[in-house]
Amino acid sequence: MTKHMVDLDEFRGEARTWIRANLERRPQSDARAAGSDDRTPEEIAESRVLQRKFFEAGFAGISYPAEYGGRGLTPAHEQVFREEAAGYITPDFGGAGHVMFTAIGRSLLAHCTPEFLRRHIPKMLAGEELWCQFYSEPDAGSDLAGIRTRAGRENDRWVLNGAKIWSTGAHHADYAMCLARTNWDVPKHVGLTWFAVPTNAPGVLVRPIKQITGSTGFCEEFLDNVVLTDDDVIGEVDQGWTVAQTMLVYERGAGSSGSAPIEPRILASDLVAAARQAGRADDPVARQAIARAHVNDYAQYHLGKRISALLRTSSKPQPAIAAYGKLASGTLGPIRARLAVEIAGPLGLLWREDDELGAATSAGYLNGRVSSIAAGTNEMQRNGIGERVLGLPREPSFDSTKPFSQVVRDARNWSHRVG
Amino acid sequence: MDRDVTQDQRYLLDASARFIEQTYPLERVREKPFRDADWAADYRRRAAELGWFSMLVPDEFGGGSVSGNGAVDATLVAYLRGGMLQPGAFVATNVVAHALSVAGNEEQREKVLAALMSGEQSAAWAVGAPAVHGPVGGTVQAKATGSGYELTGSTSFMVDADTASWLLVTAEVEDGVSQFLLPAGLPGVSVTSLESLDITRAFTEVRFDRVQVSASDVVGEPGRAAEPAARQLAIGCVLTAAESVGAMDHDFSMAVQYAKDRIAFGRPIGSFQAIKHLLADTSLLLEMSKAVTLSAAENLGTDDGYALESASIAKAFVGEHGVDLAQNCFQVFGGIGFTWEHNQHLYLRRLTTDAALYGDPAWHRERLCRLSGL
Ligand SMILES: Cc1cc2nc3c(=O)[nH]c(=O)nc-3n(C[C@H](O)[C@H](O)[C@H](O)COP(=O)(O)OP(=O)(O)OC[C@H]3O[C@@H](n4cnc5c(N)ncnc54)[C@H](O)[C@@H]3O)c2cc1C
Repeated sequence: MTKHMVDLDEFRGEARTWIRANLERRPQSDARAAGSDDRTPEEIAESRVLQRKFFEAGFAGISYPAEYGGRGLTPAHEQVFREEAAGYITPDFGGAGHVMFTAIGRSLLAHCTPEFLRRHIPKMLAGEELWCQFYSEPDAGSDLAGIRTRAGRENDRWVLNGAKIWSTGAHHADYAMCLARTNWDVPKHVGLTWFAVPTNAPGVLVRPIKQITGSTGFCEEFLDNVVLTDDDVIGEVDQGWTVAQTMLVYERGAGSSGSAPIEPRILASDLVAAARQAGRADDPVARQAIARAHVNDYAQYHLGKRISALLRTSSKPQPAIAAYGKLASGTLGPIRARLAVEIAGPLGLLWREDDELGAATSAGYLNGRVSSIAAGTNEMQRNGIGERVLGLPREPSFDSTKPFSQVVRDARNWSHRVG
Repeated sequence: MDRDVTQDQRYLLDASARFIEQTYPLERVREKPFRDADWAADYRRRAAELGWFSMLVPDEFGGGSVSGNGAVDATLVAYLRGGMLQPGAFVATNVVAHALSVAGNEEQREKVLAALMSGEQSAAWAVGAPAVHGPVGGTVQAKATGSGYELTGSTSFMVDADTASWLLVTAEVEDGVSQFLLPAGLPGVSVTSLESLDITRAFTEVRFDRVQVSASDVVGEPGRAAEPAARQLAIGCVLTAAESVGAMDHDFSMAVQYAKDRIAFGRPIGSFQAIKHLLADTSLLLEMSKAVTLSAAENLGTDDGYALESASIAKAFVGEHGVDLAQNCFQVFGGIGFTWEHNQHLYLRRLTTDAALYGDPAWHRERLCRLSGL
């Protein structure tokens, strides 16, 4: 921890001065608003340099412990910095950037040994180690505890075999936080272990996948006898589900609220611009759509603040409370993208090569679906809220008490009759 | 609303909850005693003792908030009221008390404001200027005569105005909007009770047939009332949204409990995803409704520059999703929800009416565009 805690106003002043002196303004129209996760290797390299600059100035990992290279301040300080930096160019690692300092970094801080943290966190904050998530597999996504990548013990080493998929930013990443099964003879939640996997380790093959927009955001990986040591274990062996609980709280956007970093007080400016360009600023249908989007944006922002407060005070399980923010973006995201298409009319569907509105609207429309699936589908959030916040009875379960090896066998002979 | 409350707010809320429980618990709602003037007066006086009608009036005029933000205090009380389907012109009386504290003349303050805060009398807000309130309120025109004004027109959609002693009339004048404070019994004023979808409150229409009022009945500056009236509307919106959120919370808890208790196909119905997911989505709407309403209340009480906008946002969001919530809960109850005995229909009735009071969601969306310069 730092010796003294800078107060928020003082910190705001310091941040503002540094930002103005060191950062460039973001261009007015930024096609990135469309939500694409695709970054070129050059863009990633530039962002690493910028990240290093933040690190050296003490603005990387503002709420991370000072002993691991952070600033040792609070999330409120981080929020202040975000507010001040809005409108400036900041490090942008695409999709992987969203999770590196939240889901991944926070899980590591909560569950790793000091040696592990000293080895990785300062490099992460300095932009030297980019991390991505190896969670999902071809045969397991929502059912994260049902993954089949195997980590076996050979002498004093771990050997990983299996396949991962949909890993955002893996083609740019240096490390992956990877879930593997270390025990097949126990129920699924108690035989899991997390590992730090270097993406350039022998036996790791990363293959980019083209997404619906035509760009590349995520990858598939094949793990073929990848050798790791005990130093690479995150948390404890077979206790991976405990780590997953921490990870899920941050993955669902708790703390960052998953919406705008500052309270949206300007009427949905992207949609107003679209309506103007389409000559529909006076059309009551378009005006209703614009206001509807803004009302939702505002409500989503305040929901985020409410969730942060509830996470501090509520006795309900944290991942389930965080699910509200995730469900809000997963349901409202596609609605907003659809409203944009309705407002733009034909201009959102057909465009000349140099017309930004059309390209942005249609890319936004496609990418608007991301939050309904990535980081846990809407249905999974509904299950979590229903069962763990509202206390509704759980689904009958067919796989939570048997050894996992038997689950895999029985699923092939699925019969609807239970008992 | 599961919000951090101060010690004093906690006293206010506990005392208010006790008052409601003793005076008008849910079991009595179908009796509709509120049309009886004596009952209404007694309810009002006892509510006034708790401070229900003083929260939006500054200390110097005998009012006072318990937390420093009277709009938040009133919002928390409104939330309690909505959950227990309370009658009475809580929202309108607070609007009128606020309006008089801002612009009332000395006589209006001494005679009427004091009586409103003590619960001796009640007031209704007759909004007859579509520019302020949208088309639902009605229209009242005020024509200047030699010594004063002549009011003609009608307004409807007024809650429990049949027992009101005073009317704050917002009327169109030649060059803007003016407000007048009149006794409800003035010649030419006729108050007609209406039948309504919502049976938890009484609704009235008020007609003004060439009503003669004097210049001293004007509240504030003649022709210049559009701005204060916009603020009054924001108060009406936030408090109505808060009552809705209370009703939503109560209705929703009933549905969740039912989903746990009711068995079908050998399991509680809440274990079926069709029901569970419907309730999860509904609870998201409820959480968001609480969040926007509290934010709007906060802004209103701190004179924030975004107060009018956030009031419209809250009214649009809660209005629309309050109705969604009541419709969704209906589905969870199956046949029992379709009976007179069950409280479900009372909430549907109330929430649907709240959505239209002080401007419906579509009107507030358009208003938001205008306030934002579009
Ligand atoms: C853009 C994008 C980026 C991603 N980035 C990453 C990443 O960086 N790292 C990573 O590991 N993964 C990533 N993912 C994967 C993502 O986490 C999974 O796609 C997601 O969890 C769903 O898993 P699935 O695709 O296997 O679908 P499935 O789990 O097969 O789901 C298919 C459908 O079945 C429904 N369903 C499944 N189980 C239930 C249930 N119990 N109740 C009700 N409905 C159910 C789902 O809701 C969904 O509608 C990403 C995905 C996308 C789209």
